[in-house]
Amino acid sequence: MALSLFKLLPLSLVAGALLAGPVLAEDVAPGLLPGIHKHVLQTSTVPDNGDQNPYALIIAPVSAGPIQQGDVLYDNFNNAANLQGTGTTIVDFNPTSKKLTTIANLSHELPGCPGGVGLSTAMTMLKSGWIIVGSTPSNDGTTRTKGAGCLIVLNPQGKVAKVLADANINDPWGNMAVKDDGDKATLYVSMAGFGVGSPDGEPPVFNQSTILRINLDIPEGKVPEVTSETVVAGGFGEQADKSVFLVGPTGLALGEGDKLYASDALGNRISEIRDASTRTTSAGVGRTVTKDGLLSRPLAMVMTAEGHLLVTNGLNGKVVEVDPVSGKQLYAQWIDADKAQVPPGNGDLFGIVMHPNGKSFYYVEDDVNTIVLAQ
Amino acid sequence: MRNILYNVFRDVLMNKKQNSRQRNLTLLRLTCAVLAATSFQARAEAIDDARTDATKPEADQSIAATTVGQWTGAWTRGTLLGDMGGLRSGLAQYGINLGLTETSEYLGNVSGGTDKGFVYDGLTTLTLTMDTSKALGLQGGTFNVSAINIHGRNLSELNLSNLQTASGIESDSGTRLWELWYQQSLADNKYDVKVGQQSIDQEFMTSTYSGLFVNTMMGWPAVPSYDLPSGGPAYPMSALGVRLRAHPTDAITVLAGAFAGDPTAVNGGNHNGTGFSLHGGTLWIAEVQYAVNQPALGQLETANNNPDEPPHHSGLPGTYKLGMWYHTASFDDQRNGTDGLSLADPNSNGSPQQHKGNYSIYAVADQLVWERDPDSAQGLAVFGRAMGAPGDRNELSFSFNGGLSLKNPLPGRDNDTAGLGVGYVRVGSGDQGLDRDTANFSGTWYPVRSGETFVEATYQAQVNPWWQIQADVQYVANVGGGIPNPNDTTQKIGNELILGVRTNITF
Repeated sequence: MALSLFKLLPLSLVAGALLAGPVLAEDVAPGLLPGIHKHVLQTSTVPDNGDQNPYALIIAPVSAGPIQQGDVLYDNFNNAANLQGTGTTIVDFNPTSKKLTTIANLSHELPGCPGGVGLSTAMTMLKSGWIIVGSTPSNDGTTRTKGAGCLIVLNPQGKVAKVLADANINDPWGNMAVKDDGDKATLYVSMAGFGVGSPDGEPPVFNQSTILRINLDIPEGKVPEVTSETVVAGGFGEQADKSVFLVGPTGLALGEGDKLYASDALGNRISEIRDASTRTTSAGVGRTVTKDGLLSRPLAMVMTAEGHLLVTNGLNGKVVEVDPVSGKQLYAQWIDADKAQVPPGNGDLFGIVMHPNGKSFYYVEDDVNTIVLAQ
Repeated sequence: MRNILYNVFRDVLMNKKQNSRQRNLTLLRLTCAVLAATSFQARAEAIDDARTDATKPEADQSIAATTVGQWTGAWTRGTLLGDMGGLRSGLAQYGINLGLTETSEYLGNVSGGTDKGFVYDGLTTLTLTMDTSKALGLQGGTFNVSAINIHGRNLSELNLSNLQTASGIESDSGTRLWELWYQQSLADNKYDVKVGQQSIDQEFMTSTYSGLFVNTMMGWPAVPSYDLPSGGPAYPMSALGVRLRAHPTDAITVLAGAFAGDPTAVNGGNHNGTGFSLHGGTLWIAEVQYAVNQPALGQLETANNNPDEPPHHSGLPGTYKLGMWYHTASFDDQRNGTDGLSLADPNSNGSPQQHKGNYSIYAVADQLVWERDPDSAQGLAVFGRAMGAPGDRNELSFSFNGGLSLKNPLPGRDNDTAGLGVGYVRVGSGDQGLDRDTANFSGTWYPVRSGETFVEATYQAQVNPWWQIQADVQYVANVGGGIPNPNDTTQKIGNELILGVRTNITF
């Protein structure tokens, strides 16, 4: 009797494990945020010229010039006096050495860029080494004196190679979504400045914000050429704001099936633009994937390896994980609980990017000029 | 704006207590900052008018960039002096942050008190904070040094003789070192230790919402102000010591510290803050803080995707604190001498009995009780602080202050705050007994002190990110606990109505 029990016990344990397996697998919640437990300060972001307010956050896809593959690149929206729309620097942060290197320190009065330079969250580095960054400039730190801005093409050494400015470009604002094939690339940039004026009083909401698709040819050793510009979406709300300069669509991310996702800050929703790379007309504000719930003025956005969207909130310190296929919001995690703002973290989370390992992500806390790694 | 300035100037000019030179000096001090600030606004508006109006459709395509100089955007940025011609950014390269603030106020009593009239006083604070990770590669370290200049005259001392003095900044004029400390965080910020000269009113017994008010006791409360030697290591004093802080859970914070017992127990009275006294016993203090409905870093929330269920909102945030301090020095009995006689007895040897040690227990509550919506700054908060100490060895045996604070009180005034507060102190049993003895032995009318109460109403307007103007009204009842008026010892000091305006500027 005892012997048979000893034989049966391992068998029953194995059988139990097999039976329990699928159940446990179902119990494990999908998604990235439940696995995030640490928020590790990486660096203070203020470069030597004193620029503040880190905005765009990207990972270098290649090594080029002083930039190493996997480095974190960011730009600054404010100058040393903390005036919005006047920051002019792009900085490289090496996560291993912890060293900061100023890649570019542009002139605020850059020729060809209406209103000058105030670097926004629109930035990318292409596999060819070119850096493309948006300018949403101001002369006094408010939208009262804002210009239409431009897109600036720089080489990896930070030298300006080209300035893109035309009627389709008016305050390139949100983080770029990019499809980069090496010799060709497609950029998606939100434009949040059309019609926006002074932040005084109760500034009106203009439903004129657009998402512009820019197709580039990138000949070997030559500066990228714009082959076409297409407004693929439009009608998102945009509004001048005393504290955060302006509010408009800020996050863009590409998903499966040629879908482009946009965070509509004033609409408090995530929109889906279909046939993003091929459409020749505007999809308007697209289809609403999800709205309200855990979202609170969605800002920066990035796609996880699992195909979920991580969206930072503008009105609190949370990042929200969304399954864009089901349209379900999964989780929110407090990644900035700084009580200096009410609610905590309010207006801080403008930049987010996935770590190359696909399991963690970097984000900026722009009020204290830092980059944090959530892992 | 012009109306406010006009009223301030009119009050100054109508003040008969000041001679013309004093008046001119006060005018100059108070208006320098105010007019300088308004000139920046005018300048900014003039610059804007000269440019293309960006509100016209697509006008921003033709807007030209202008040189960003020292005074560009001076009206809208966070500090009046911005980068200070490169000084701030230069220091920032070494992880050093430079802070400079000015608080100026013009306060006066229009009724009651020992005299009437308005006086000016002000406080300039210079602070240097160094992030040692950037400066020295030492992670988690912060070095802080600050100096203060107190200028003007002290209304409470001149006119009021109240226990709960009218302004938290009024003190003896002069320039002094304030704080000088190093803080090191440990174990992923779960702990930190601070060593050096510290002003403990910056961390202990603090209330989130009481700081709005002008009355002194809304800052460092009355019990420690009156019962600790020299008022304790609090503004404008500080003392050498060590403070530990721990966060055992996301909701709980524990503070504990040991500090030199008397900041002024050095030759010369430590008037410049560099006496670094180690005398006068030791002040031990500990506090437990409990935060409710406040998010913690990494806190995860699960979505509710059922459209039929209302959205879940966590409760309103609050913080509750319980603490105590113990002082190791000997403290005078307030009534009796070593000969067993009352100190009011003409036969007394005048030498008070001694008590070994002194202590107090305190509680602080800050609670938001209403908010327009969870993502709005508009909200109504209540606060309260109560503390007690033994009445035989202390002038005050109990103090309380509390009130309401309403953020964003008017449409379009997102960063303004209105407040209504009250404060009460009770004179200790020893002093009350001494008053009775004084009356008995003197055979004349002599009131027994009891409690003093004040009510304060205030409105703080955020003019721009670096400039606040605050109107303030205080009413003090049973002044000094009911002490005789030195101008007519047959009467108590009359209840006081205090009016004032304060301005805060961040340079």
